[in-house]
Amino acid sequence: MSQPYAIELKGITKAFGSVVANKNISLNVKQGEILALLGENGSGKTTLMNMLSGIYKPDSGEIFVEGKPVSINSPEDSKRLGIGMVHQHFKLVDVFSAADNIWIGREKAGLRLKKNRFALVEEMIQRFGFDLDPAKKVYNMSVSEKQTLEIIKVLSYGAKTIILDEPTAVLTVQEIDKLFGVLRRMKAEGHSIIIITHKLNEVMDISDRVAILRKGEYITTVDTRETNEQELTEWMVGRKVDLNIDRPVMEKTRPLLELRDVTIRNDEGALAIDGVNFYIRGGEILGVAGIAGCGQKELCEAIAGLRPIEKGQMIHKGDNIVGLPPKAIHEKGISMSFIPEDRLGMGLAPSLSITDNMLLKNYADTKGPFVNRKQGRADAENVIQELDVVTPSTETPVRRLSGGNVQKVLLGREIKAGPNVIVTAYPVRGLDINSSYAIYNILNRQKQAGVGILFVGEDLDVMMALCDKIMVLCHGRLMGVVHAHKTTKEELGLMMTGALDLTDKYEDKPAGIAKDTRFGEKEGEEEA
Amino acid sequence: MHIHIVKRDKLPLWKKCCFYLAAVLAALVLGGVVLLSIGVNPLEYYTRMFTMGTMGNPIAYRVFENYLKDFVPLVLTSVALSLAFKMRFWNIGGEGQFIMGAISAAFVALKLGPSLPNAVTLLLMCLAAMVVAGLYGLLVAALKVRFGTNETLLTLMLNYVALYVLIFLGETKADWNFFLREDSVRPVFASFSDWVKFPAFSLGGRFTLNICVILTVVVGLLVYLYLKKTKQGYEIAVVGDSAGTARYAGMKVNRIVLRTVFLSACLIGLAAAFKVGTAGILSTAITNDVGWTGIIVAWLAQLNTVAIFLVAALICVLHNGSVAAAATFSRVDSSFANMLQGAILFLVLAADFFIRFRVVITKKGGRDNG
Repeated sequence: MSQPYAIELKGITKAFGSVVANKNISLNVKQGEILALLGENGSGKTTLMNMLSGIYKPDSGEIFVEGKPVSINSPEDSKRLGIGMVHQHFKLVDVFSAADNIWIGREKAGLRLKKNRFALVEEMIQRFGFDLDPAKKVYNMSVSEKQTLEIIKVLSYGAKTIILDEPTAVLTVQEIDKLFGVLRRMKAEGHSIIIITHKLNEVMDISDRVAILRKGEYITTVDTRETNEQELTEWMVGRKVDLNIDRPVMEKTRPLLELRDVTIRNDEGALAIDGVNFYIRGGEILGVAGIAGCGQKELCEAIAGLRPIEKGQMIHKGDNIVGLPPKAIHEKGISMSFIPEDRLGMGLAPSLSITDNMLLKNYADTKGPFVNRKQGRADAENVIQELDVVTPSTETPVRRLSGGNVQKVLLGREIKAGPNVIVTAYPVRGLDINSSYAIYNILNRQKQAGVGILFVGEDLDVMMALCDKIMVLCHGRLMGVVHAHKTTKEELGLMMTGALDLTDKYEDKPAGIAKDTRFGEKEGEEEA
Repeated sequence: MHIHIVKRDKLPLWKKCCFYLAAVLAALVLGGVVLLSIGVNPLEYYTRMFTMGTMGNPIAYRVFENYLKDFVPLVLTSVALSLAFKMRFWNIGGEGQFIMGAISAAFVALKLGPSLPNAVTLLLMCLAAMVVAGLYGLLVAALKVRFGTNETLLTLMLNYVALYVLIFLGETKADWNFFLREDSVRPVFASFSDWVKFPAFSLGGRFTLNICVILTVVVGLLVYLYLKKTKQGYEIAVVGDSAGTARYAGMKVNRIVLRTVFLSACLIGLAAAFKVGTAGILSTAITNDVGWTGIIVAWLAQLNTVAIFLVAALICVLHNGSVAAAATFSRVDSSFANMLQGAILFLVLAADFFIRFRVVITKKGGRDNG
């Protein structure tokens, strides 16, 4: 063997209870290559990588690093073997500087915090060819800077193989390009890289080879040059899949919900949404694009009545609904579902059963002091049947369901109430292809039924395919509303970073109104 | 050889019970070893303890009556605490709320007792104890809701405030202090058992069942229904599980927190009224530590109302039985019960671990480094 594999796995099996997360998996990474690890949710990608980083131990099977058999019992072992992992959720101390975050994980760091650590780290950053201030505190960093710091940290510990778990999920298009540049340079320097993702275009762009897992089993490894997105999806899902997202064209109706000059503050009292104007018509999906934390959450909460609107009007079917309590807004037919990062925080009570979660918004509507669980159970059965929720029973706690099913339960409940405006943030967050398409279909069916949908999303490709129009926010300011079928990812990316502002282009109209609409002041007066 | 910890699938209820039973047995075996080491026959000791000395005792009915006197405040306090715990409000102020309830009940009994009929006095005692204890709890909830203070610290510290108020009343000989006996030079709590007492019913034999026991079972049943079936109980479950979700669903979370904590403290006040009304006198040890033991009971029962009754019954057997056994086995102090209680708590927690996980030992793992 002239050039042993950087890492080779042979017959790795790992089970959690009766669930087999990895079944007899064998794969390898060559030195100086980028291997993409592709698979749906629950296919065992992260479990497999956690065994390399020493968080789990395989039940059986062998691991070889540079041709030598090893046993990885702890993250320290993994570090010593030159394996570094950048987790999806960063492992950084917020109040520490970049240098200190690197320093705490060092072996032989000593008991004293040396004064010259900033210089030492600075030198290291230069050597790897990055650009980062070692004295900058983590809480002042952007997401992409934090990720850079994670990569520097891993490199500084002497990692030869670097594992990245969904590194692009939180980045803008421009930041992704930058990251891929870094990865290519690292590869040229002889590092091996494993990148976990389920974005096929990125796989095609960055990787040399692709290894595919499905339901805990290893399917195959292919050269990226000899495959295409359609083929990869079929391997990943196990059957033919239509990758096109439908965008049914609907007759436009009058605006259902309109926001005018709305200003909202966040928890810290800073401006989260700054004088934003937009409206949603019935039968259309309006996408909201923006970098994480640009005010989407505050906007959703304000529409649902959970956050006060400081200034401006929110008009629903001709009534100003600013200041109404959440319950009254819900009764008007405005439904909001927000899927936070942990996926269970808002909208569902994770320890309660599906039945109880169905009752969340209408439990108080019945007479008397008792909860009508019969109704809840019937609703739960309906949602389970209509949306193909996989669950043992209606009484199963929601947290025991898989991600896709949790989100179906949430959307199912919102749709059941027959809303006329649906505000949904990240409904496919963390979902695999199958579940995502199921959710898109649910939304499209609602759109066809004349519901106006505000879709806060992360994946620009999806938004460009699913939405009718996309509005872009940057630091709480509206950068413009564009037609989804006419725009490009680059244009959206520039708007998201604030480099392109389309609101000034049409000075004769209020900001944020798409150029084809004649929804001017006159009609507005009439509505209000 | 490698040891893995593997997550288990859901166990059927009877198997879970077996695990818990095994934990209790293991605790008893552990206690047995201690007993053996000090030269006491564990079998004899346990027999005496679990029968609470009723065997061959001509006044065994008295033992049961006393047992129930201990059982009622403990189970009621524990049920009350479970209400707050369900909402993830860590009310460890059971002691303080109990004391405040007890002082109020005694106040009513001493001031109004002599002039009012027994039934009216008792009713007023219960009401006063519930309102005062409830407000004592509500204070903490209000501070938490308004200023985000930590309820664990505040309820804990207020326990001592209440305790020292009680000690102050018990030790200050003064004209205004009607809590003390007037005919005594030393400060001694005044008794009101002559004119105020919860009635007891004879059940055929000499054994009499105090009305407090019946009321406690009724309250337990009501709390069970409240948590399981009512809208307010549903709100408690949602707030406890995820306050963000509750707010999002349009629930008035602050109001629910205030209401539930008030109710929880109220019921602790009721337990205090029952205690004072049967004892007929205050004492600085009036709580019998139910505010602390109640927490253990609630968690051992995993906040299940039915299980709270079972666990409280068992814990009371331990305490009363060890006192009874201490009479025969002079070498074993009655605080042996506390040791057993601790052992049971730890072993039940351990059993909990084995219910959720399975330990697997594999002969040959991966090879070592190098």
